[in-house]
Amino acid sequence: MKAPKNFEEGLQRLQALLEQLQSEETPLAKSVKLYAEAAELIQYCNTTLNEAKLQIQEIDTTLAAQQKGEGPQ
Amino acid sequence: MADYIRVSTLNSLVKQVLAQCEPLNNLIVCGEISNFTRHYKSGHLYFTLKDETAAVKCVMFRDKARLLGFEPQNGMLVLAYGRATLYERDGAFQIYADFLRPFGAGAAQMAFDALKKKLETEGLFDPVHKRPLPSMPHCIGIVTSKTGAALQDVIQVISRRWPMVHLLLAPVSVQGLEAEPSIVAGIRALDADPRPDLILVTRGGGSKEDLWVFNSERIARAAYGCRKPVVSAVGHEIDYTILDYVADLRAPTPSAAAELCVPDQAQLRRQIYILGQNIQKNIQSRYQVWYNKLSMMMPERVLEHRKSVIFQNQAQIGQLQQALQRAMAVRVERCNMGLEKAAALAAGLNPYAVLARGYTLVCDEAGQLQTVKDLQPGQKIVVQGAGAHAACTVDEVRILQNNSEENADESTQKL
Repeated sequence: MKAPKNFEEGLQRLQALLEQLQSEETPLAKSVKLYAEAAELIQYCNTTLNEAKLQIQEIDTTLAAQQKGEGPQ
Repeated sequence: MADYIRVSTLNSLVKQVLAQCEPLNNLIVCGEISNFTRHYKSGHLYFTLKDETAAVKCVMFRDKARLLGFEPQNGMLVLAYGRATLYERDGAFQIYADFLRPFGAGAAQMAFDALKKKLETEGLFDPVHKRPLPSMPHCIGIVTSKTGAALQDVIQVISRRWPMVHLLLAPVSVQGLEAEPSIVAGIRALDADPRPDLILVTRGGGSKEDLWVFNSERIARAAYGCRKPVVSAVGHEIDYTILDYVADLRAPTPSAAAELCVPDQAQLRRQIYILGQNIQKNIQSRYQVWYNKLSMMMPERVLEHRKSVIFQNQAQIGQLQQALQRAMAVRVERCNMGLEKAAALAAGLNPYAVLARGYTLVCDEAGQLQTVKDLQPGQKIVVQGAGAHAACTVDEVRILQNNSEENADESTQKL
């Protein structure tokens, strides 16, 4: 399975997998594969949530302000 | 010739005298604005401050005027911060205002209402411009004071609900003269930075004056000009600022804003759990279906099925057999009854039965029944009666005239 690039994608893929699994046209072998992928995605999503830690950065506003110019209204 | 001085000298002298009067160099004057004009080219503000009995001219230069959080208007009561001196060219005594502040609730409200109406007319509050927030932002830009309680509230709520997000802080000053340009710069910087998905402009609670900067037209326009959605959360629930009207979303407090900006991880965990459950249930029921289909085709099942067909046939055969037997029995019974009847009839017709009553039969030696008239004299015959035979020889045969029963009796008796 290709790892999702973020939580949101993981969740979207999970939802898509459920739809595929619900389809009558999905053959047995494929559904086994999809099921395994779903299990990995659930694992990924939960791990991502568990390990998430808020990151805070600062931005220097003076530079941007100067670049934008401070002309009168 | 009398001593005289030139006008310029006079004005210069007066200016010097005024400059030595310390209170004039740093004062706050309260008055009502009249004759207000904004010079179309220079951007300087010219107006007169007056009270019931006096008036004084006022100037506010462009670079100061830009910092105003409201639009001064005639009739507005303001506090003018600055110095009073003489404008030498015109000999005009006037105030050079560095800062204006609406004085009294009425005046402030007037300024607020006027700006609100102006921006509303321009369409800055129009709901069609409101952009939806991303449901799962990756980065949130925050315009607020680095040391304020608002930032702490936001960090706390987001850490709990959605710690996967990055916060990009534009530290600004939210109070005082430099607050307005600082906030505008913060908003623009975060809008220009590629990282944030949305911008949160926030400040904790404070007095109406503390929050007044968020009624700034320039901040409103900066927020309106953003490519990214802007969320405003200034003060408490009851505090509404111009920024709140312009923002794509207004939150009552910084904490509430944080809640509105990010999803709740508890809810998402539940969603993932339910998704997992559904997937599990789904595959199980699919397996059941496949298994059932397969087991229908197993040899045992096929044999079982054949057996049951055989059983059915056997039962059918048994039923047919019984029906046949019943029909046969009825048929045999009927035949028996016919036979008995015939036997009874036959018994009645038995010629030997007559012998018991004394009749006899006449046979030749071979046992052939003989009629009396055909007998020959000397012929050996056997007379059969009930219980005995008599061997006889015919002496004579007499033919009787009348073929009657008496004659038969006679002939027999003669024997």
